[in-house]
Amino acid sequence: MNERRSLAYLASAATLAIALSGCATAAGSTTDSAEGDASSKSLTVFISGDTNVQDLWEKGLIPAFEEANPGVTVDTTIDLHGEHNQQTLAKLTTSVKAGDDPGYDLIDAGFISSAGKAGLLEEATTDTVPNLANVPEVTLEAGDGFGIPYRASSVLLAYDTTTIDAPPETLTDLLQWIKDNPGEFAYNSPSTGGSGGAFVATVLDQYVSESDREKMTVGYEPELETEWDEGFAELASLNQSVFQQGVYPNGNNQVLELLGTGEISMAPVWSDQIITAQSTGTVPDTIGYAQISDPSFTGNASYIGVPKTSDHADLALELADFALSSAGQAIIAEAISGYPVVALDTLPAEVAAKFEDADPSALRPSYYSEMGADMNNLWDQKVPGQ
Amino acid sequence: MSSTALKSGAGTAKRGVTVSAETRRSSLGFALALPPVLLIALFVGIPVILAVGFSLGMTGGLNETIASIGLGTVEADSWWGTLAVYGAVFSDQRFLRDLSVTVVITVISTLLVLALSLGIALYLRLKGGWLANVFAGLAVVPLFIPVVIASWAILNFYANDGFVRTFLSQFGIDGPTWGYTTVAVVIGSVWTSLPFATLMAGSGVQAIPDAIIDAARDAGAGITSIVMRILLPMASIPLIIATTFTAIGILGQFTVPYFTGPNAPQMLGVDISKYFSSFNQPQQAVVMAVVVFVLASGVAFCYVWANFRTAKKEGRV
Repeated sequence: MNERRSLAYLASAATLAIALSGCATAAGSTTDSAEGDASSKSLTVFISGDTNVQDLWEKGLIPAFEEANPGVTVDTTIDLHGEHNQQTLAKLTTSVKAGDDPGYDLIDAGFISSAGKAGLLEEATTDTVPNLANVPEVTLEAGDGFGIPYRASSVLLAYDTTTIDAPPETLTDLLQWIKDNPGEFAYNSPSTGGSGGAFVATVLDQYVSESDREKMTVGYEPELETEWDEGFAELASLNQSVFQQGVYPNGNNQVLELLGTGEISMAPVWSDQIITAQSTGTVPDTIGYAQISDPSFTGNASYIGVPKTSDHADLALELADFALSSAGQAIIAEAISGYPVVALDTLPAEVAAKFEDADPSALRPSYYSEMGADMNNLWDQKVPGQ
Repeated sequence: MSSTALKSGAGTAKRGVTVSAETRRSSLGFALALPPVLLIALFVGIPVILAVGFSLGMTGGLNETIASIGLGTVEADSWWGTLAVYGAVFSDQRFLRDLSVTVVITVISTLLVLALSLGIALYLRLKGGWLANVFAGLAVVPLFIPVVIASWAILNFYANDGFVRTFLSQFGIDGPTWGYTTVAVVIGSVWTSLPFATLMAGSGVQAIPDAIIDAARDAGAGITSIVMRILLPMASIPLIIATTFTAIGILGQFTVPYFTGPNAPQMLGVDISKYFSSFNQPQQAVVMAVVVFVLASGVAFCYVWANFRTAKKEGRV
């Protein structure tokens, strides 16, 4: 009988322990970060993007920064493809409002401008980030004084040069080409990657007035979404002409793979991803790429920012400054073929030569982040399977 | 709850002499059953209640954060909530289309799984031999291959440039492209569900004594009547369990349709994830989850009924 009774106690105690362990983990993690504060310098970079951006930080910028600053360790947290941007932004809002450290010190994400506007970020000036002095005024403006531009990229039209002699030069030509060559074009669903998103946005933009388009890049204007209707109808009419009569792959990389295996011969791709894919050999050299016009595919500088309530704001700003230094810009150019954002004459000659044609200040900006979430939803409702 | 259990345990210890053996046994049983019950209540029960409340527009309390994050969140206008979100979701053609495709895929895949696993089980029972053992062994293999990898492999196998089409084109036949179609989702669902169903059906049919089959044979019963009138009825309980588990698993699956399926129509598991993260509409996602939950409960009822029947047969209830 005694044994049985102790068994019962044991069971009850185990229940308590397990039930409490959930809370214990959460409590433990807060203690960890507080300890790290006192003893050694450590940073966490929050990355919202594709694997190439992750590699840029983890294999390029961070090791170089750690080498230049002994005793500093930098970790990363990744939200692949930025699928949870809206939630991340909302969580950041909650923790900044509560005055808590959000758990990361530097953010590389598409929602930086929204976060800056909402007053969630440290101000970034030439006092705190001296290298900002080398960045053109136009690029800085879109950052609103909070976002720190550190690289740029745009979406380009990639095509198979073995089958296509003269790629379409305007959007109208491209849409015609897609209809003339059924099954040869693919773009990824916009919620899973920016290259498909840029194609969708560019088709929608044909029917949006210039002034409204401007509003939709800087704020959330749901009442303007009716102007998208014609564009979505046009996209739906392409269903029969795209890859496998209406298949939209998941993610930028799947499209690159299709291009690499020759299953399709034309697709919108990120400039940095196609250059990297060709240098690693996953996409053959016979794939060429060019920008279209009227309107062009979207592209922009990428911004990083430091949360206001970060425990290591100073160090995070130092890391941002490092990314803007000529060493940092060279790493970006080499690791992911990112366009530099600083004036080209401040860079080493061979890096500058590579990007003579790319002017980040001339890129057509993409939609504001909440507008983007709605665009993804409406696309999903109105395009595939219609 | 657990502290109450401790107290009552101590009480039992003090008054040990006066408490009957029966009470002591049942309190011990209760204590032993407590850990899983508590865990489920804490980590499944409460979140489910919160989620159902959220879908009805209860945005206060623990739902406050998610409500402030989501786009288009609707708030309750009466004490029991509002059905506005349910109305919005059910009037969306996209949802109705995806709901019906989810049900169709579930029914077809479950029937296929049942037919395949039963075929193997009956072959093993009636015929035996090394070939039957090989079949039974092969049917369990998917258990050891991660679903993500299997889905990717299935997609590539049936893709435009996959094995099926490449092989058939050697003979001048233009094979079908099943990658990114609902057919691939059905193939993937069958692949992932087959092992469990085969194990259940196999053990159910194996458990029927030889003597009964032999007696039927002696009485002149053919294979068909042995299967239809002896094997299937006697193995019905494990078969129902296999069917319900398969159906519930397929109903809520995410990985297989996400990788191998088309963008539209898509299964609800993928939709819920899209609404929750990509479109940032958590309330709509929760409404869909409730719908899947209701469907699964309907199937689960069969499982409970089957269990109850077994218990009754064995005189436990």
